[in-house]
Amino acid sequence: MTTTEGASLADGKAAAGIPGARRQGDAVAVSPARGRRRPRIASVVATLIMAILAAYFLLPLVWLLLAATKSTSDLFGSGAFTLAHFQLFQNIAELSTYNSGYFWSWYGNSVIYSGATALGSTLICALAGYALAKYRFRGQRIISTSIICSLVVPAAALAVPTFLLLTKVGLVNSYVGVILPGLPNAFGAYFLYTYIREAMPEELIDAGRVDGAGDWRIFFRIALPIIQPGVVTYLLISFIASWNNFFLPLLVLNDPSKFPLTLGLNNWLSLTSAASALGQPPYSQLVTGSLLSVLPMLVLFPLFRKQIAAGMATGSVK
Amino acid sequence: MGPRSKAPYLMVAPFVLLFVAFFVYPLVNAFVLSLQGRLAGQDQFVGLNNYVTALGDQAFWGSLGTVFAFAIVQAVTALLLGLVMALLLDSSLVRGSAFFRLTNFMPFAVPGVIATIMWGFLYSPQLNPLLQVLAPLNGGKQVNLLAGGNLVLLIANIVTWSAAGYFMTLYFSALTALPREMYEAAKLDGCNEFQLAIRVKVPALRPMILFTAILSVIGAMQLFNEPFLLHNLANVSASYTPNLYAYNQAFTYGNLNYAATLSFILALVTLVVSVVFFFVTSGESRRERRELRASRRASRPAPTPAASVAPRGV
Repeated sequence: MTTTEGASLADGKAAAGIPGARRQGDAVAVSPARGRRRPRIASVVATLIMAILAAYFLLPLVWLLLAATKSTSDLFGSGAFTLAHFQLFQNIAELSTYNSGYFWSWYGNSVIYSGATALGSTLICALAGYALAKYRFRGQRIISTSIICSLVVPAAALAVPTFLLLTKVGLVNSYVGVILPGLPNAFGAYFLYTYIREAMPEELIDAGRVDGAGDWRIFFRIALPIIQPGVVTYLLISFIASWNNFFLPLLVLNDPSKFPLTLGLNNWLSLTSAASALGQPPYSQLVTGSLLSVLPMLVLFPLFRKQIAAGMATGSVK
Repeated sequence: MGPRSKAPYLMVAPFVLLFVAFFVYPLVNAFVLSLQGRLAGQDQFVGLNNYVTALGDQAFWGSLGTVFAFAIVQAVTALLLGLVMALLLDSSLVRGSAFFRLTNFMPFAVPGVIATIMWGFLYSPQLNPLLQVLAPLNGGKQVNLLAGGNLVLLIANIVTWSAAGYFMTLYFSALTALPREMYEAAKLDGCNEFQLAIRVKVPALRPMILFTAILSVIGAMQLFNEPFLLHNLANVSASYTPNLYAYNQAFTYGNLNYAATLSFILALVTLVVSVVFFFVTSGESRRERRELRASRRASRPAPTPAASVAPRGV
């Protein structure tokens, strides 16, 4: 009974594009007429409830999309869900020059922070998870116990000492200072440890050894292709988490040119309440900037949804 | 195979070194800092003084009260919403379930900062015409959500919007992994879809619900981003949540030692709450599982339902 199997089974069904494949398949097998006899009114009500809930989840995003096409005066003057004069591209152009044109540096920074954190964290967590799952060695117990215990310690408890540490070693206000603390992710190590334990057969490792392959060669050439689905899942989760990260950069950075998007947009938000030296409060820039920063996530999300969902289910149920 | 191989040590080394540097050391240091005070420009050992101060600090207690209220409101709504959606999707009554599984999960990919900016704007009457429509109900006055004292609800809505689809996805995956024989047995007993959901699926989801509830409560107690951002649009006190209070103590007032103390107490409270929560609810679920087993023995043998989603020690 592995939940890994359960999750990948669910995943497989979703991948086949058959919603509720199991139950519908059964209905056909048991009695073909059953589907038609089911009260249609229940189906309509259920679909209606889901549609209303979908509206709750989608409408704020629709608002953002529409608001980003409006001028500041239309933003306040026209209906929230109506189109006014379309000037998305003019808004993007304004956004690009506003506040010394920081926006696109923030964008680039977010890509650097998330990319480096996701890749680095995945590599070190996969290596650690693999060693913990497939070797017996001294200190193993202490390491795995510490990882599990650390899962319940809220990150914010470490805020002040982490800041002091980075100050001491001169990493405050640097790219490395934002990336490094994000690498040793206990959830990542734990998730990949449980995944590798289930997904990687011992026989293949033994077979590799018989063929004379060294430990590292076995990891990179034999294990990695097999554990790839779990590794990619963590890579995606880690990328999204770093893209959304706010607290750590807030502690580490005060030079706006090094901000990620989340921190930059927070800066602009603070200008809406304070009397600003930059003139008019940047409502339109905030809305357009918010849209541009969620866009890659929203575009990529449908492609990766199954993988993320399967990974989360696996990681959480252990 | 070489049991004395150096490889496993080298493989865990990068993780362990960084983990010690950025988790173990800061954690120990947080505790050390909390036992010190800044006297005459120097850090000196003051024992539990900071803790005594914190225990008498009304602002800190107030912030704990806020996150407890928030945790209850937020966890209950997000979990219920996620559960209802997963059960509906799993009932095969819903048309276009693949579409809903995507759309309702989508806010999960929206950064909390962006979600807060977005909802913050939607809460303000100038930007949201729905609020202008409500004005006559408010005695002709403009409805300004951000001006009222309902900040907990406003933030709970933002977090629920982001998290409900995540819970839906977790529950739905767990439901899909359940053995189908369970449903057939229940249907033979004359269960309709609704009874099936309440009597069979929800009990089988119990471990998962428990896990997500703990996750929500831990997350809720750490609340920081949303109030930190909303203070630009609404009146949010500097000690609204424990983390916000600790942050302001450290970086607005420069009381690093007191901030470390507050964070440390919050971590302890979080730990205690999740352990207590876990034992209370798992005791209940043990009893339920016993009853379920008994009733199953009485009716007909069926494959173990709960086992396939039972947590192996959360």
